[in-house]
Amino acid sequence: MATDTATEHPEETIGAQTGTPVKIETSSTHRSLIGWFGMPVFLILILGATYIWIQGRELDSIEQRVLNQRVLTEKLVEHLQLVAVSTAIVIAIAIPLGVILTRPFARRAVPITLAIANGGQAIPSLGLITIVVIWMGIGFTPVIIGLVAYSALPILRNTMVGLQQVDHSFIKASRGMGLSPMQVLMQVELPLAIPVMIAGIRTALVINVGTATLATFFGAGGLGFVIFQGIGLNRDPVLITGVVMASGLALLVDYLAGVAGHFLSPRGL
Amino acid sequence: MTFSEYLSNSYENLIELSLEHLQLVAITMLIATAVGVPLGILAHRSSVLRPPIMSTTSFFLTIPSLALFAIFIPVFGLGSPPAIVALTLYALLPIVGNTVAGLSSVSPAIVKASRGMGMGSWRRLGLVELPLAWPVIVTGLRVSTQVTIGIAAIAVFVGGPGLGNEIFRGIRSLGNPGAENLVYGGTLAIVVIALAFDGAFVLVRRFTTPRGIR
Amino acid sequence: MTQTESSNEVMIELDELTKHFPGQANPAVDKLSLTVKKGEIVVFVGPSGCGKTTSMELVNRLIEPTSGRIILEGEDVTNSDPDELRRRIGYVIQETGLLPHRTIAHNIATVPKLVGWDKQRISERVDELLTMVGMDPDVYRNRYPKELSGGQRQRVGVARAMAADPPLMLMDEPFGAIDPITRERLQNEFLRLQAQIQKTIIFVTHDIDEAIKMGDRIVVLRDQSHIAQFDTPEAILTNPADDYVADFIGSGASLKRLNLSRIRDIEMATDAPIGRMDEPADELARRLDASEWSAILLLDDRKRPTRWVNAQDLRRPGFDPTTMGLKARAVVEPHATLSDALNELISSNGGCAIVADGDGAYLGVVDLETIMAAVRAMREQHARFYLAAKNPDTVEV
Repeated sequence: MATDTATEHPEETIGAQTGTPVKIETSSTHRSLIGWFGMPVFLILILGATYIWIQGRELDSIEQRVLNQRVLTEKLVEHLQLVAVSTAIVIAIAIPLGVILTRPFARRAVPITLAIANGGQAIPSLGLITIVVIWMGIGFTPVIIGLVAYSALPILRNTMVGLQQVDHSFIKASRGMGLSPMQVLMQVELPLAIPVMIAGIRTALVINVGTATLATFFGAGGLGFVIFQGIGLNRDPVLITGVVMASGLALLVDYLAGVAGHFLSPRGL
Repeated sequence: MTFSEYLSNSYENLIELSLEHLQLVAITMLIATAVGVPLGILAHRSSVLRPPIMSTTSFFLTIPSLALFAIFIPVFGLGSPPAIVALTLYALLPIVGNTVAGLSSVSPAIVKASRGMGMGSWRRLGLVELPLAWPVIVTGLRVSTQVTIGIAAIAVFVGGPGLGNEIFRGIRSLGNPGAENLVYGGTLAIVVIALAFDGAFVLVRRFTTPRGIR
Repeated sequence: MTQTESSNEVMIELDELTKHFPGQANPAVDKLSLTVKKGEIVVFVGPSGCGKTTSMELVNRLIEPTSGRIILEGEDVTNSDPDELRRRIGYVIQETGLLPHRTIAHNIATVPKLVGWDKQRISERVDELLTMVGMDPDVYRNRYPKELSGGQRQRVGVARAMAADPPLMLMDEPFGAIDPITRERLQNEFLRLQAQIQKTIIFVTHDIDEAIKMGDRIVVLRDQSHIAQFDTPEAILTNPADDYVADFIGSGASLKRLNLSRIRDIEMATDAPIGRMDEPADELARRLDASEWSAILLLDDRKRPTRWVNAQDLRRPGFDPTTMGLKARAVVEPHATLSDALNELISSNGGCAIVADGDGAYLGVVDLETIMAAVRAMREQHARFYLAAKNPDTVEV
């Protein structure tokens, strides 16, 4: 989790004005052992400890109603579905949009798009999802729309920044050799923007795992159910199980996205 | 009931909740700044401490906000304390990260020159490095405040104060007439606070930045 | 210099090429017309802002001309498919533009792939090119650009531009970002390479010395890419067309001219007295007396210069040719430029530079007189040429 915020000029920092946590992988080619294995080991220890603790307790009937394999699996699967679907949609929307906004013909649309996206970021996640639900009713789809709207900015912004930071000499040399604009985009700009774009996707994933914990209020389930049951029923074992599962999922997703970023980034950078 | 009727009926309530929200954010930011800036200085100065400081603060930001609020209930019970602790942990990374980034962005030549003039380590920090890093640090505070204002709405689930209560009241009565007004009202008030803070930070940054580097 | 007399065929012709950027009062390039012959290096040189890079980018239409025509190998390419056109023109830029996420081989293969060569042919070509620019293919093929030095990257940049064997190459300050010593080496390597491959090259630089060194012909540009003078380096140095060109060449013009001729091209003095180390002193003294020189040069048994001894040394009792007199320094080879010889001559503190062949055997000497005479001859030759061919008023002798 070698993450970093705001490493450049503050005004240009991705997400700096938006309240979006930004993850920029510091491009270290060799990772320490802790970097590679620290998080998996930590997760195994925490999950294992929680499991042993719960197993060693006499659960009362209220606790048993939530803390059984069927319910926990169901909530985990629901949560994974929410995250997977919302992230897939947001990638499918924000990356092409980011590409289009960095083409010369769309230059005029950039400030207004970023203004809307930044301004939208001031809306709290809870309010945003609730408003979508007011318009569409409860269920899976409105929650997905809320998640997509809330996590679009980091991917959009990182796609744009990633493409804009590609050194102009690479583009000029490639155009000069006779690559078409499309070939330059596919063979030069996108590969060079990948590390920054993946950092954006990673941020969006973490946001989606976190925001999806609110889905249970709107009939879309997820691990938030377990946490709210713990709070509402005043049962610490339930609450802690929910917290550990949701946090573990967020940390795991973040870790896997970091690893993926490491392997998907082109060599030679 | 129209939204404007709702506003004229319950603006006093909204203002009260807004003040609570502001108070929650203010306390959080005071603690987070008091902890985060020194942590950032420490992380900048010690390459040994930097990785653990950075990964711990980013760890907190990775945890779902609801989970981070909830985990402190067994310790502090319901109410403001778990909200303040969780929000503070959440607010740390942008402050620490930008403090490190700001200090690292100070030109090594300037640092060398001030050493050459005989400034000690602390004097250099106070007279040279912090003033030059200040705009970046202020940006960190601003990001952090924005995060906190939004996340503070979640505090309602652990019995915390603030505008989350208005939204939550709306959620609980969804389907009843007027419920959407509560959600709109709470959300709108949060957006207004966020934008007001954003504007305030632009001014703060402008007027607290040394003129030479503005 | 790789002046080719073999071919006067035209490679590319620019006809009143003009670029007017929107929103600017004057065109950046105004009616630029010139022809480049096959196999020559034409250098665009001028101060920054004169439009030389813009002019070059008009040739491969990275910037589309507002008006005018580009004729490449007899074909009007002004409105052809720009990508197709660029694949026929090699392109080297100062920043190299090597793609950092691709290996050296992959970078060089860019254009061959675009034009559809098969894998076998591409990989053979990559190895051939790497060898050509002096880099071992087995070592460098699979490296990434960041693993190379600046000079190596620029070599790869040149190899990449030559990959699909384009008839014409554009080079935009290719050695501009490299330290002086490496730059000198790359320039020499490139000239040696050019002697073999005989490409047609348009080369942009702001450095008049580089222009003189690299160019078969030089285009001196002023504002809006107006041609101030288009001629051989010799002619430009000897007879600058006007004050602008003279100013641009700078005060060192006469010294720069010394870079243009080599010792082997001039008369060196062969009348210096020489003797063998084992000859008796009085014999050497007699020979020295008979000459107009103040010292005699002693050669060893392989005819290599060893020491200068004067009459006083020779008269001394117990004359020992291995210790007396001055050690013979300032030895230059025949392909050295006059500038090299002058430099040696001055730094050795002696009156002349010794010329020796590759094995070190004595050939003759060059002194200040010889160099002056050569410069004078060069100037007169050009003056005569200009008097005959051009406006006599521009000649200053």
